[in-house]
Amino acid sequence: MYDDDHDALAAEYVLGTLSAAEREQAEALLARDAGFAETVRLWEHRLGELNVMVEAVEPPPDLWERIKTGIDGAERRTQAASETIEFTGVQPEPSDVAASADSPPIDAGAEPSIQTVADLLSDQAQGPEDSKTAGLASTLLPSESTAEIVDRLPKSTALSKSTAPQATAGTETAPPDQNARRWRGLAIGASAIAALLVAYIAVTHLAPGLVSLGRQPQLTTGALKPATAPQLVAVLQQEPTAPAFLVMLDPQQRTITIRRLTAAPDSGRSYELWLNSNKLPNPASLGPVGNSEVTTRSIPQNIDVETMRSATYSVSLEPSGGSATGAPTGPTLFKGRMIDAAPGSSG
Amino acid sequence: MLMQTELVWLLGAVARGDEAAFERLYGATRAKLYGVLLRILGRPALAEEVMEETYLKVWKIADQFDPATASPITWMVAIARNRAIDIVRKQGDVSIDEEPEAPEPAAETPAPLARREMTAELKRLLSCLGRLDPEKQRIVLLAYYSGWSRDHLASKLDIPVNTIKTWLRRSLLEIRECMGT
Repeated sequence: MYDDDHDALAAEYVLGTLSAAEREQAEALLARDAGFAETVRLWEHRLGELNVMVEAVEPPPDLWERIKTGIDGAERRTQAASETIEFTGVQPEPSDVAASADSPPIDAGAEPSIQTVADLLSDQAQGPEDSKTAGLASTLLPSESTAEIVDRLPKSTALSKSTAPQATAGTETAPPDQNARRWRGLAIGASAIAALLVAYIAVTHLAPGLVSLGRQPQLTTGALKPATAPQLVAVLQQEPTAPAFLVMLDPQQRTITIRRLTAAPDSGRSYELWLNSNKLPNPASLGPVGNSEVTTRSIPQNIDVETMRSATYSVSLEPSGGSATGAPTGPTLFKGRMIDAAPGSSG
Repeated sequence: MLMQTELVWLLGAVARGDEAAFERLYGATRAKLYGVLLRILGRPALAEEVMEETYLKVWKIADQFDPATASPITWMVAIARNRAIDIVRKQGDVSIDEEPEAPEPAAETPAPLARREMTAELKRLLSCLGRLDPEKQRIVLLAYYSGWSRDHLASKLDIPVNTIKTWLRRSLLEIRECMGT
């Protein structure tokens, strides 16, 4: 077991917060100290699951061909080394492929395309982007505490344990015992109205051009547009064992995207997303959360941006296809408020 | 949709030089890795370069993957992040004013891999993160998702770097205690 200093170094190495010099030290330690390498591996295990929250983005379709060319080249180089046949590959050749394969995973070694990457980076435009920076900083204002969120919850969302499976009256088929227990468990969790925003994550900027760039590589990076709007992200999770949702609000595009990080409800049930605001007479349905992992909904036109920003968002468990009454009928599983990230506005 | 066990199997096949398995592995993991890299590096061209490096490395060292100690995607993301952070860090402060552009959610094309359920490890991690002060949660998450150094965090959040250092250390050790491993 290592002391806290070593452990903190390993943790920060994995997290990525070390300076270049410190990373070199950590990598040197990794290469010669199996104990430290094990500590790093443990941290990769502890923190690594955070990648689940990262939005998947399709890389350009031709990337696979480039990778395939790369591994074919590596294969040929391996053969060339063993047969002492000179091979003129497309990339500078690592001196010994076998040796590089023996190096620890963390040590990237002398990858052939490093130079290219460095060139790309140094070629980046370095213009000041104050508006972007200001926008980002403003999204990092302290969030409200859980208690504040709870205080803001309308009384109508208070749940009793007895509303658990029965709350979805109108559903003809009762779920099997196992599922009934599961839903009861959920509803009990909801009754605590913890509505805990576990973490506001990575509040970032939306670049409208980026996704299309990612999917249509024939466009060049020069087409990158300046960021136009903050995107607000929150993880809604009641307790470690309950379902969790990642909710992203884009006020400018008037869209809300909900990502399910948990099982779909059983057939006969749907999760439904609601916008709650004291400026509205009733909660506004944003529609059922689809069966796919990610659902994007437009915010209805009658809801202005300010309402959108200040609203609380909730997820309820409804009969299949969503509430038939236009109002939540099932237990509210989550409720949370976005950070108002608009620069200069008071949320 | 590929389950984790299938990815483990694919990595095993890749370690034996199976190119078809490598292509399937790429198909199942590319969008997640690209999303991670875009967030840290910001620029598609740079992210693509690191994607190439990452998958070449996976091809070379797939035999080092140990399913007992890591999940395939976590292992691959760690390789990609390490490379990306090395690049950003070696450029020094050059990139501080160059904010990565966050990608739009790929709502229409969710990654096959991302359809899995929330893992027990993630639940545990989130509940432990939830115990930290909001300010500290934010620092840890910004560091992970954006690949920011302590200096970068300090400058962005207008918090002295020594405070960032103290908070990071304390937060990470609290996470360790909380997760109990």
